[in-house]
Amino acid sequence: MVKMTGKHTDFAKQCYDTRLAIAEEVFPIEEKVQPYWEQLLAAFDAMGGTEIDNRRREAQRLLRENGVTYNVYGDDKQLTRPWRLDPVPLLISGEEWLRIEAGLKQRAQLLDLILQDIYGKQLLLKKGLLPYELVLAHSGFLPACVGSVLPQATWLTVYSANLVRGHKGQLWVVDDRTQAPSGCGYALENRAVMTRILPEIFRETQVARLSSFFKLFQRSLSGLAQSNKENPRVVVLTPGPFNETYFEHAYLASYLGYTLVQGDDLTVRDGRVWLKALAGLQPVDVILRRVDDVFCDPLSLRNDSRLGIPGLLEVVRRGNVAIANPLGSSVLENPALLAFLPRLARHFLNQELLLPSVATWWCGQRRECDFVIQNLDKLIIKQINGEHRNEQIIGQQLSQQEKSVLRAKISAKPYLFVGQESLSFATVPAFVDHHIEPRRAVLRHFVVAERDQYHVMPGGLTRVAREKNDAKVSNQEGGISKDTWVLGGNSDASASALPNTVVDSEQLITNGFVKKTIWRTNQPLESVSEPVTSRAADHLFWVGRYLERTDSAARLLRSILLKYRDTLEFNDHTDAESLGVLLSSLTQMTATYPGFLLNNQTIIAAPEAELFSLAQNRQRSGSLAATIYALVQSAFSIRDLWSQDTWRSIDAIRHRWQQKVMGSDLSIEVLQSSLDELITGVVGFAGLTHESMTHEAGWFMLESGRRLERALNLTALLRATLVTQQAPAIQNQVLEAVLLSLDSVTIYQRRYRSGFQLALVLELLLLDSNHPRSIVYQLQQLAQFISKFPRDGRQCQLCEEERLILKALTNVQLSTVAELLKEDENSAIYTELENLLADTTVLLWQIAEVITRAYFSHSQISQLVTVASPNAEDEDL
Amino acid sequence: MKYRITHTTYYHYSQVVGLCQNEARLLVRDFWRQQCLSSYFEIHPLPFDMRERIDYFGNRVAYFSIQQPHTHLEVTAINEVTINRPTVQWLTASQFSWEQVVQQFLAMPAIGGYPTSSDLAHNPQIEIKTSTEEFMAARYFLLDSPMITTSASLAEYALASFTPNRPILEAVQDLMTRIFTEFTYAPSSTTIATPLSDVLLYRRGVCQDFAHLAIGCLRSFGLAARYVSGYVETQPPTGQARLVGADASHAWFAVYVPLLGWIDFDPTNNKIPSDQHITLAWGRDYTDVTPLKGIALGGGRHSLTVAVDVLRLV
Repeated sequence: MVKMTGKHTDFAKQCYDTRLAIAEEVFPIEEKVQPYWEQLLAAFDAMGGTEIDNRRREAQRLLRENGVTYNVYGDDKQLTRPWRLDPVPLLISGEEWLRIEAGLKQRAQLLDLILQDIYGKQLLLKKGLLPYELVLAHSGFLPACVGSVLPQATWLTVYSANLVRGHKGQLWVVDDRTQAPSGCGYALENRAVMTRILPEIFRETQVARLSSFFKLFQRSLSGLAQSNKENPRVVVLTPGPFNETYFEHAYLASYLGYTLVQGDDLTVRDGRVWLKALAGLQPVDVILRRVDDVFCDPLSLRNDSRLGIPGLLEVVRRGNVAIANPLGSSVLENPALLAFLPRLARHFLNQELLLPSVATWWCGQRRECDFVIQNLDKLIIKQINGEHRNEQIIGQQLSQQEKSVLRAKISAKPYLFVGQESLSFATVPAFVDHHIEPRRAVLRHFVVAERDQYHVMPGGLTRVAREKNDAKVSNQEGGISKDTWVLGGNSDASASALPNTVVDSEQLITNGFVKKTIWRTNQPLESVSEPVTSRAADHLFWVGRYLERTDSAARLLRSILLKYRDTLEFNDHTDAESLGVLLSSLTQMTATYPGFLLNNQTIIAAPEAELFSLAQNRQRSGSLAATIYALVQSAFSIRDLWSQDTWRSIDAIRHRWQQKVMGSDLSIEVLQSSLDELITGVVGFAGLTHESMTHEAGWFMLESGRRLERALNLTALLRATLVTQQAPAIQNQVLEAVLLSLDSVTIYQRRYRSGFQLALVLELLLLDSNHPRSIVYQLQQLAQFISKFPRDGRQCQLCEEERLILKALTNVQLSTVAELLKEDENSAIYTELENLLADTTVLLWQIAEVITRAYFSHSQISQLVTVASPNAEDEDL
Repeated sequence: MKYRITHTTYYHYSQVVGLCQNEARLLVRDFWRQQCLSSYFEIHPLPFDMRERIDYFGNRVAYFSIQQPHTHLEVTAINEVTINRPTVQWLTASQFSWEQVVQQFLAMPAIGGYPTSSDLAHNPQIEIKTSTEEFMAARYFLLDSPMITTSASLAEYALASFTPNRPILEAVQDLMTRIFTEFTYAPSSTTIATPLSDVLLYRRGVCQDFAHLAIGCLRSFGLAARYVSGYVETQPPTGQARLVGADASHAWFAVYVPLLGWIDFDPTNNKIPSDQHITLAWGRDYTDVTPLKGIALGGGRHSLTVAVDVLRLV
């Protein structure tokens, strides 16, 4: 039992019972509290539990608003897990940091040399310094990648290591991440939040800044470009928004000023990699990848991958693109390698390993294998392959039978297994349930190569276990993260010499997704706007469409609810009949058939269940809940393009709807007020996009989507409400409700100063080119945006979408109200009006199709074509 | 023996393909009993970008891309090759029992402990150059590969051939013969995705399956075995003319024997390949040596036709 000494008795002592704290960060050596911890704990002590909890909540709020998540977005079961941050940072003294830094640099250098050898001459294998099976049986060894990387100073560009502290304060490396290490973006975001929630403590503590690391990161990636190209194009390759760390991909892309892409945003032609941008193909020089290497090229690696770029490896072989890290680098993510590192450090560097690895026995060697099999109880058993990275078997927890099964498995293919020492690692103070308590922690540090030098981020991502006795710490299982403070101030003199493209102030980063244009000022102007990928254009188009879909449905639903309350109050048959018309128009506009079109008087007499379903049911396509989720999903897929304010507004829309409407106790009143909020939210978001996006290609796509969708909804509404001839009393009510749902009652009354007349309403909603809710206005706007789409110059003919919109616009403009409302004795509808609206709808659909085909080129599907077996002669696949 | 092999693959797509990237292992490689005299491609439409390289296993790989819109693609590889008939009686060429070979792999001796080429002096008839490096590289072929995972059931099947102290090549030949007699050659009974366990269960398959099966058996015993892709000269039934294009590509396996090198076996024909087998490429299994694969952007449905003609020149 270690006792707290000195004056910090109350809070810290009471909460920080040290039963587990035998070898704490706080008391690494003997029983002396480290002075820097003493200060920090004193500050927290002074603050008190309630205040710390307030700060923690503030942190969670900031993180949620910034959209910081780990895990999937848009999953049915709401698996989106907000990132959790412990307000108590982890401290590392400047003195100790120097040792860690040196150790990590050495390790990066060593792993780099091993990587170069494995994918080069394989002398380590040939000389017997590394056993063949250790490397070749590892699924990360990709024979197709041998010899693929052209000479460059370092191959391992980004590297991260997980460290834990053992009993005597000694740090051990538990594993190395070498193919696409994640976490440095989260570390940056943690820092940004910490500076907001603990400004006083942060100021008083001399904490090393992180921004210079990211400047080096940028320079490192630029340096990979072939022949030192001046302004190389770097892209961040992500598996997509369903990836668990997608937030970070978007965040880093945005922060570093790179385009975020998925595999099918890129294409290989002429031996080069190109970005499919709205404005045409743009060459790509460097890829920072977050896609596992086997998925990166379906031609040469895994044929079934949908995440990669066919032919990518061929471009790498020609040296026309550099990938960080190179394909195949997951071969280093092999726990068996840990056993050989000391020997390889002596071989390559003539040095001892500065940072030891956790003790590891590779079963591919007979003696080691015997040792592991005999000591299962004391060891953790792991497979060497990456796909089993998160599986570890704790020998002690196995039954006798499980042990013998495991022994048989190890004996059958011993080279696939390692035994590792089960470390009893030290705990750190963590803020849990209003108390500071000891928790086991894993530290992740980040390293980048700049030319032939490695640099370590002065800080890192610390994760702590959720439960007191958890030995396993991972985000997958709901761990909590911590900011990591390296003490000793900002010794970063070199930083100022770097290109000023990354936000310097850690305060400013708080705004998360900083607009790229702000901080690319030192670069030539032409590189200021990153190209819009065709995928981003697609999502922008759909954000626009879902936005309007939400707006139209919400407004109509709101005016229906008003009318419904009238019918309940007055019990008038005119009210009821006009309500029937409006209800069926809602079904038609939202395409939620059969809905109110079902010739069923009971559903119309008691519409609540169906109305609530249209508001709440996410599984129902066309419902508000489904449309809002689709909107958020599309927006999230291009998270890197939104400013912080814009994202916050879209997240708020979803958040409120989910909280207030999607519960079980929905009432008409709550729905009404939520619809008001929703409409305000949607208008606010639309306004923000107008104000915070540059009016360029991407914005044109968003606006085109909006105008197209609004035009479609308007035509649907008018067709459902105005085309059928009705008794004057009913028509009057319907017209009023339609105008109301289009926010046009006031305009109508001011202009016409008369009762609601069909001809006048039609004039306003169809033909008035000054009214932003008229059909003709939407078509004019759409025509204008379409004319600005990027195209090859020198065109004499109009392209297809231009012809279609011109036709739609002209049809409407050439019509007159008198003609449209010509009555036909044989028909109960206004035939001309119906024809015009139907034609317009068809033309709008065609425009959407043509735009998709012409501009969203990533949507084309690629397929594997191969002879299925040597004997197959004719195949129809 | 000299041959000219013409191998044509013809793709037809229901919709336009805008871009197609391909990798072909259709050019014969040189090794001790085979020399390539000439080899070239005829591809329509003309590839925009084409390059040949040597892969990790020493095979020749051609990468090419078709960048213009197309609905058909025709890839023809024409190889002329000389095959030398070996002068050695393989089956008696090695005195090692199969257990001895397994032991040699199992032992992890210090560098230099492996048999070297100088040890071959006592047997000048053998034309294979074998070395420590080759022995070490053969270790890759002891391990599981994408399409072949060793298992107890594979070992069990092979057990009848691997009787104690049996000379290695005799055991492997016995395995080959058993596969030939106990399995039914049944085209279109299997696809590329048929797992080895199904082949073993239903006792039917094509040359690729038999090669994979034999390799799986050998690896289950701790022996190094590899997959060979190529062609075999077929003789028309007596009295009938040779049909041009009626041949097919073929596959078999090879086993590694220290001091001797890699020895081929063809379980589909129950033959030790000599001068009628033309080797294209080798690797751990089919995935390493797929003759032609491509990724097409677009294309809708596709159908393909393959024609192979093995013509004896001399």
